Amino acid sequence: MSIPGFDPRWKDVPDYIHGITEDIWEKRHIHALKDYYADDIIVRSPATVVQGNKGVIAATLATLAEWPDRELPGEDVIWCGHAEEGTLFSSHRLICSATHTHPGAYGAPTGAKLRYRILADCAIRDNQVYDEWLVRDQGAIVRQMGMDPLAFARDQIAREEGKEACVKPLTPANDKPARYTTSGNTTETGSHYADLLTRIMGAEISVININYDRAAQLEYPGGVPALGPKGASEFWIGLRASFPNAQFKIDHVVGNEEAGRPNRAALRWSLHGKHEGWGTFGAPSQADVYILGISHAEFGPRGLHREYVLFDEVAIWKQIVLQKG
Amino acid sequence: MPPHNEDGEKFEGFSQRWKDFPDYILGITHEIWESRGLSTLNHYYADDVIMRFPDGLLRGNQTVINGTMATIVEFPDRQLLGEDVIWSGDGKGSYLSSHRIITTGTHLVDGVFGKATGKKFRIRVIADCAAKNDTIYDEWLIRDYGGMVRQLGFEPHDFARSLIEAEGGLENCRKPFHPSHDVDGGYHGTGNANAWGERYANILTRIMDKDFDLIAREYDRACISELPGSRTVVSHHDIDAFWIGLRSSFPSAKFEIHHQIGREDPMMPPRAAIRWSLTGKHDGWGTYGRPTGAEVHIMGLTHAEFGPFGPPGGTVRREYVLLDEVSIWKQIHMHTGAVG
Repeated sequence: MSIPGFDPRWKDVPDYIHGITEDIWEKRHIHALKDYYADDIIVRSPATVVQGNKGVIAATLATLAEWPDRELPGEDVIWCGHAEEGTLFSSHRLICSATHTHPGAYGAPTGAKLRYRILADCAIRDNQVYDEWLVRDQGAIVRQMGMDPLAFARDQIAREEGKEACVKPLTPANDKPARYTTSGNTTETGSHYADLLTRIMGAEISVININYDRAAQLEYPGGVPALGPKGASEFWIGLRASFPNAQFKIDHVVGNEEAGRPNRAALRWSLHGKHEGWGTFGAPSQADVYILGISHAEFGPRGLHREYVLFDEVAIWKQIVLQKG
Repeated sequence: MPPHNEDGEKFEGFSQRWKDFPDYILGITHEIWESRGLSTLNHYYADDVIMRFPDGLLRGNQTVINGTMATIVEFPDRQLLGEDVIWSGDGKGSYLSSHRIITTGTHLVDGVFGKATGKKFRIRVIADCAAKNDTIYDEWLIRDYGGMVRQLGFEPHDFARSLIEAEGGLENCRKPFHPSHDVDGGYHGTGNANAWGERYANILTRIMDKDFDLIAREYDRACISELPGSRTVVSHHDIDAFWIGLRSSFPSAKFEIHHQIGREDPMMPPRAAIRWSLTGKHDGWGTYGRPTGAEVHIMGLTHAEFGPFGPPGGTVRREYVLLDEVSIWKQIHMHTGAVG
């Protein structure tokens, strides 16, 4: 078994994704990014938009210099598409562990041992990643280093030489057009999860009680675990309350329904609008904020049993600070 | 037509209100402990039920009712969220449920844990219950007592000492469970023959035979293990460290598997539930510190979920290990007399 157009050593999409991640970032075949990442790839993360595999190589080197023992075991790959059409797509969930032993973008080494999740949406064809959306749990990283995301965002702006010069977080204005334009696949599981989030974002919070397992285990941004319908309600209400009129959009939906696995769904979504309510992000600042979110859900016999949601709190605070001081 | 379990086996002898055996287990747990239908224990628990906890054996549903009331008083907001029911049946109306629960609560009232602290806890419990005719008649239950005492601000070894003292000293204190105190509760099943149960039993047996390098092959790199002391670890290194640390404190103890279940259910990964024990001398350096020669019995309940990653045949993706550190320390302190 192999994937048409791909190196025959990969037996399927999950194998390719797990394999190249291990090769590049753990075994240090960083030069292999020239092969595994398209020359003109766009990697969007909430913190910034990186263009080209040279940019990715530079960023990778900087990360490995600061966190040399970093490990990235892959927890899941939720995928869709067809090799023949060039539409293969993977939503990859990783658990990253690393020790902050060297100076770098996070400042002087703190010795902090971190564990956080990453969700990476990659479009792949011909053995290469050619379009990417990546959300790293920056909130978890900075908290485990003993800082809070707002203070870190302020420091980051200062380290990057002020509001004018600093690296600008992702917004629709500085995003680059995607070459992967498919919106996923069509499955009951994917549609169900998309419907749940749409209704929750429409303030129909009661759907949580009906659809989340009483023992649902939830992993929210900042490395914050939560439990059951109550935990889910608190999280989603807190987010929505900070951006009550922002536009919620689901950009990509994947569902995987396989024997011997829970039904799983991966969504990529955004919330774009004014920070004009009291909620998770404190006092309303009226800043215009763009939030890129990726979430995975697993459904069992008693409803949504696991949910993993990531957005980048630091990038949100950075947008607020850049506009409001 | 009587209701059927998911695998088609008839579900007979139980009230019609339960759609299958997991539904019964989840339902009565909620009814008894959360809806406060404590008196329903008279119905759902046999008069002469035998309940084995790592900290001792209880007999009869009245004892269970009294113990439950004490817990509810100290933690009035306690919740019991049923995570999974891994079960087997003997085809003759007797079932064994290995029920994994997340329990949460707030220490709001003075009690076993001292003055109320307002601290919250969240731990796991696994309860192996034998049931027939709508009634639980035999049970093995392990709470992550180590996780609970840590979250309430204590250390298991200190807490075990204070328990001995509070219970009237070495002579009078409540004795942790040992097979020599066991009483036949009537359930003699050993589970089922499903391949996933067999595989996990084999993994644990080989680990206990000190074949630790199999962890790198049989566990996924991203395996999450939920360990005693409410510790969540990820990947081979820390999983390995847990099992080596345990075995190395009791290197010559006898490892036994008493019950094994494997299941493949819709919308669930293949999974296994094993009840095991380690019985013997505390004669090595390890997780339990300096060897003391104490005779220790460790009750263990573990669940595993398998996934598709790694070598062909897949690997363990999640593991839940329950043993009671406080009862282990209590047995050690009772031997050394190092109390007070």
